Amino acid sequence: MKSLTSILRIALFAGIGAFILVPLAQTIITSFVSTLPRAGIAEGHFSLVNYLNILQSPVLKQSILNSIIYVVLNVALCLGVGLPAAYAFARYSFVGDRQLFFLLLVFRITPTVVLSLPIFVLFAQIGLENTPVGIALVHCVFNIPIAIWILEGFIASVPREFDETAFLDGHSLPGFFFRHLVPAIAPGIGVTAFFCFIFSWVEVVLARILTTTGGKPITMAINALFGFRTDFGLVMAMTVLALVPGIAMIYFVRNHLAKGFVIRT
Amino acid sequence: MCPGVSPLQSFDMKPYDNRAWFLVLPALVIMTFVGILPLVAVTNYSFQDLFSLNNPYWVGLDWYRNIVRSERFYASLARSFLFSAIVLSIQLPLGIWIALLLQRSHRFIVSTVLVLITLPLVVPWNMIPVIWLNFINPNAGIAGRLLTWLGAGFDYKFNALHTWIVLVVMDTWHWLGLVVVLAYAGISGIPAAYYQAAAIDAASEWQVFRFIQLPKMKTVLSMAVLLRFMDSFMIYIEAFRINAGGPDSATAFLSLDLGEEIQAFNYGPSAARSMVYFLIVLTVAWTFKAATSTRAPVALEPAT
Repeated sequence: MKSLTSILRIALFAGIGAFILVPLAQTIITSFVSTLPRAGIAEGHFSLVNYLNILQSPVLKQSILNSIIYVVLNVALCLGVGLPAAYAFARYSFVGDRQLFFLLLVFRITPTVVLSLPIFVLFAQIGLENTPVGIALVHCVFNIPIAIWILEGFIASVPREFDETAFLDGHSLPGFFFRHLVPAIAPGIGVTAFFCFIFSWVEVVLARILTTTGGKPITMAINALFGFRTDFGLVMAMTVLALVPGIAMIYFVRNHLAKGFVIRT
Repeated sequence: MCPGVSPLQSFDMKPYDNRAWFLVLPALVIMTFVGILPLVAVTNYSFQDLFSLNNPYWVGLDWYRNIVRSERFYASLARSFLFSAIVLSIQLPLGIWIALLLQRSHRFIVSTVLVLITLPLVVPWNMIPVIWLNFINPNAGIAGRLLTWLGAGFDYKFNALHTWIVLVVMDTWHWLGLVVVLAYAGISGIPAAYYQAAAIDAASEWQVFRFIQLPKMKTVLSMAVLLRFMDSFMIYIEAFRINAGGPDSATAFLSLDLGEEIQAFNYGPSAARSMVYFLIVLTVAWTFKAATSTRAPVALEPAT
């Protein structure tokens, strides 16, 4: 009986794994196939031509760089302003704390399409369009709430005596943050960086409206590949490359996800 | 810390100190710039006719009147609610069930399943429909050829039911991982003592779930419900790329209407529509807060 249920459980997990992997597998396979007629390569046969084409395209290479720049900037920004704010929420009560938390919640769930028009106008006026910096900044609207929300849970699970001891030892607030708090909640910072990374990496509505003529990230460079004769192999190769950093992030945080991270609302 | 105060109590009684505002200030400055200012601007646009941005003409509530009087708005609203309802009723129980099964599994299996199930979360949103269209393509796709071979008569372009099925399955593929990760985070935070107590009382599996696991997961699950509700309610890129709202507007959701107007640079009407949607978001967030704030301890309130 016991072994039967565990076999059923494994079968279910295998089914879920197949459900997740099969659509992705087809994308990966297509990325290794030449999908347009080319001299020397039979159409529909295995080939590395799509990946070689990416290497030879300055536009596509630049888009990969743009994506990495904006996402790293965004994660750094969200952690930088999110950590002190999360500390404030976890350790103190102050005038308007609940209203502020509610405001953050509202902006987290506001669909990006709702804010896209005024953000386009505002960023065009101050010259922040067509640059990765603009995307990094604008993605803060949903990532700062996420960062504060997750970090607050981790900080709150550290006993307050921990802070008090550090302050009695003569640490200033910044010194305490970097030397004591950050190492103590390192898994929390990893999980926060993971969520900020994925939500920023996959967002396309704001990224599109801010990069109409330049500074395109991977997602928009892929969009630009669609045309009269779309090279699907190239599209899929770019998609596979777009997955690599995310998969690396999942790999780094896998144990924290498996242990279950601290989370509160 | 005074003796006799339980750790839980001292945890909830946070010192009242308005200097904490200095710590939230940097975050607030950025949120003002990317969130509050655009919101003020969109409110302003929504009352004007802006053929060009330098030439505003005050029209008052005209754009709002157009929206609330159009049948199309209510039809889209109903479709979006239906989509969210279907998506939640599939993903939430399924996600909880997987998390419960994971909790009894070996560590290696847990991390393998979690890594697999979170993979779709890192796929850029504009590529999700591309992957799925490729997958269900009747000539080249694995699922598409399988369905043709089975003689299922599958036609996601012209059969509304089939478009809906594709969208629901695709959304489940995309987001199931988030529900599982959140539910698992909730379950694994339950101390072993709870299960030992339940074992002593000879509680059934269902009782353990109903009276221990579910209440302990309440916080994370409410967050999962909120995130999944809003994201599916305002599904945009994925739905647009699959069938552009078709066939015959059968999958024209709220965001697709707004996206259409923004694409046409109709500043005034799209601003008014944005405001209407934002008010929906505000209502949802407020309802959520009211429903979950019962756990907030009274001690949090500053003494007056």
